[in-house]
Amino acid sequence: MKRSAGGPRTTTILVAMVAGVVSMILCCCILLFLNRYRSAMVQSARTTSAQAVSQVSSTVGNYLRDMEQAMQLVEQSMSESPDSRDRLLSTFLTFRPDVVAVTSYSPEGALLDCWSLGREPKEHILQNLSFDLHRARASAAPYMASPHVVTLFESYYPWVVTMTKPLPEQGGGAAWVSLDLSFSSISSYISNVSIGQRGYCFLMDRSGSIVYHPQQQLLYAGLKTEDTPALAGLADGAYADDTVIYCLTSVPDSDWRVVGVSYVDELVNRNVREMIRLSLWLAALVLGAALLSSWLLSLLLSRPLRGLAAAMERFEADADHFTYRPAGGTREVQELSSSFGHMVLRIQQLMSTVRQEEVNLRKTELKALQAQINPHFLYNTLDSIAWMCEQGRSADAVKMIHALARLFRISISQGHELIPIAKEIEHAENYLEIQKYRYKNQFTYTFDVDPGCLGYCCNKITLQPILENAIMHGLDLLVDEGRIHVRVTQEGDDILFCVEDNGVGMSAEQVAAILAQDAQDRTGIGIKNVNDRLQIYFGRQYGLRIVSELDVGTRVEIRMPKIEEAGDYEAK
Amino acid sequence: MRRNKDVPGRRVGALTLWAALALCLLCGCGADMDGTPRRAVSLIVKSTDSEFFLSVFAGARAAATEYNLDLTISGPKTEEDYETQNQMIAEAVEAGAEAIVFSAIDYERNAAAVDAAAQSGVHIVSIDSGVGSSQVSTYIGTDNYAAGRMAAQAALERVEGPLYVGVINYDEGTANGQERERGAAEALAESGRAEITAIVNTLVEAGHARADAASLLRTHPEINVLMAFNEPTSVGAAQAVHALGRSHAVFFVGFDSNVVTIDGLQDGCVDALIVQNPYAMGYLGVESAYKLLAGQGGGLAAVVDTSTRIVDRENLFTMDSQKALFAFDRDQS
Repeated sequence: MKRSAGGPRTTTILVAMVAGVVSMILCCCILLFLNRYRSAMVQSARTTSAQAVSQVSSTVGNYLRDMEQAMQLVEQSMSESPDSRDRLLSTFLTFRPDVVAVTSYSPEGALLDCWSLGREPKEHILQNLSFDLHRARASAAPYMASPHVVTLFESYYPWVVTMTKPLPEQGGGAAWVSLDLSFSSISSYISNVSIGQRGYCFLMDRSGSIVYHPQQQLLYAGLKTEDTPALAGLADGAYADDTVIYCLTSVPDSDWRVVGVSYVDELVNRNVREMIRLSLWLAALVLGAALLSSWLLSLLLSRPLRGLAAAMERFEADADHFTYRPAGGTREVQELSSSFGHMVLRIQQLMSTVRQEEVNLRKTELKALQAQINPHFLYNTLDSIAWMCEQGRSADAVKMIHALARLFRISISQGHELIPIAKEIEHAENYLEIQKYRYKNQFTYTFDVDPGCLGYCCNKITLQPILENAIMHGLDLLVDEGRIHVRVTQEGDDILFCVEDNGVGMSAEQVAAILAQDAQDRTGIGIKNVNDRLQIYFGRQYGLRIVSELDVGTRVEIRMPKIEEAGDYEAK
Repeated sequence: MRRNKDVPGRRVGALTLWAALALCLLCGCGADMDGTPRRAVSLIVKSTDSEFFLSVFAGARAAATEYNLDLTISGPKTEEDYETQNQMIAEAVEAGAEAIVFSAIDYERNAAAVDAAAQSGVHIVSIDSGVGSSQVSTYIGTDNYAAGRMAAQAALERVEGPLYVGVINYDEGTANGQERERGAAEALAESGRAEITAIVNTLVEAGHARADAASLLRTHPEINVLMAFNEPTSVGAAQAVHALGRSHAVFFVGFDSNVVTIDGLQDGCVDALIVQNPYAMGYLGVESAYKLLAGQGGGLAAVVDTSTRIVDRENLFTMDSQKALFAFDRDQS
């Protein structure tokens, strides 16, 4: 009865569905999130660099403005008399230790004077980097030279930025004055600027040559390069490529530009990688949780359903003895289960109703048949009795009338279906007695009854239809003397009735016909009725078995359980 | 019925998803704050007061800042004290340094200490002057042989006629000095018109070098080319040439930049300087140490040649020379 289901199980479908949906949503969310996160990080990195760079730019701008202010002071002092000029400049130098030197030059470019705190210029200056005659002559306005080393002094080579300014014509006076302002404050400031961990700033001019770079020595050694020509072509702003963020800002009022270099890898990628790692962990966690919950959920659904299915199978196999225990679970399953429970009860009720109706039907039928028990038999018997009386065989007539009376009493049996076997035997004997008179001793009969059986009950009128059949179909046509042998024995928990005759016998078709059809052609109780009653009362394994051979005889076996109390079965 | 089945599952899924996203955001904010402990790197050099090594330190500090390393710098008082160097290596290992950037005083006698340090799992980067240990991951510095040849070549190009060369070298155990001397000697021999008159091994200290150079010049008045192979000996030799008034008679080739030798270049007692790139040695040394610690040591070359250049009176004040010779970040007062 076990059927193998074709479709996949609910658990599988549900888990697969949840896994699919959840992982798809997770993928989308993570991708979206990481994308947003990365662009936010890049944006923040650009902002950070831009801030750092603009700070550097304003610091450098301040430095340059400060230099212009210092230059104004120097220029003013130049117009004073030599004595007061020296005094003014020496005070100025005392207050401005970052001014390395102030120098003045003749119209021919010769060094006229040099003011420096505590230092005197060398006698022979190999090359003066603080003054460039060609450039000074070329420009009428003040100009600023790129950072360089001061070469005026012995054993003192500080980096400075020089501002040179032409002086108004004075008799025999200086034509130009130069101010050397120490660059170390700016260089150390720029060196200390860091954007992220490895990012840095450097100064270049508009043409792209580097003014100051914190890793000057590496550049000079060729161990590091900056793509300054390309950077020079860019407008101010932040530029991010895959690895580096460049941020450019011009220093106000000069041709210097501050370039901030920061690394996408450390500012962005490291965070993004960390985030990816975290997201994957979480995704795995969520997926796991989703799978687990869907698995639990489907288990919650499918286990009671499977229980229900198994219960249905058991019910199908044996509806009579099935008792249903309602399955637990969700409300839906409980509803299903209690519906099934109701259905089982209903079906069992219906089944017992049908069986009861069948029994009642047979009983009614039996009663109806009994009521009209073979009028031919009664007629023939009464005819025989009348004939006996005419012949004066009153003793025989009395005997026969007694037999008939007993026959009827037992037949009625106060309406009980089950009667003691002793009664049934008596019924059979009376019947045979009557028939023996009627058939003028054409046959003989014997009874062989196990006395142990007599206490049990059996259906009434079980033997009579069989004996009738044996006489009418077996012995009536027989030329020789017929013999009927009735035997009642115990066999385990069963009682076995056996009726044997030596009549003409029946073919297999006849046997089948007798068991299959009601006795329609005539009145009385048919063999089928006997068999039906036995099976309704006791089950399919009980009933009649007919073994017959033509010209040899017939044997009918009746099997029924040992019934001690009639009450149990009567109630059915 | 069917809808009822699915909804709780989806709801749970959606809930966990939002919780996860919220957590993501939370951790995203927190992720920036987690700091990994800085790894310790020790820089051990030959001396802590020459300008050469000050530049090395500047480069090393720049790299340490860039790579977030905990850098400690040490060196003995004199450039002969290899024992103190060995002790410093042991101390650095004890203090938990994971990499040592090392400039060896003695090629042979520092080797055992380096091997011992390497045995305890410390990465070794050699800079400036090599050490005789197979445990050195990479050497970063001047190609000393080529630098020696360069010094000889500078003299050969600028001095005509026969060359009588006096050499002021330092400790015979120090690898870079010996390599330079070998390079110079071979280049001089190849020219066919030069001979090495005398070699003096002096202490790496300007005063000693000055005295030894002066006595060398007095003993061998025929010397017309003088060579010194590192900064302190060059300073001493320049002072000796100046003091003896032999600026014109003697063509002096020194090594590295120092205010004294720069002054000497201008007033004539120094004629050429072979300038190395100590900043690059320091920077690249620490950078290599970082790479070794970060597990990227596979990409390191066995030898990295930092550039050297010849500076003489003509190119002394070109922008490139200025940047090479004069450090930005300190006033040479």
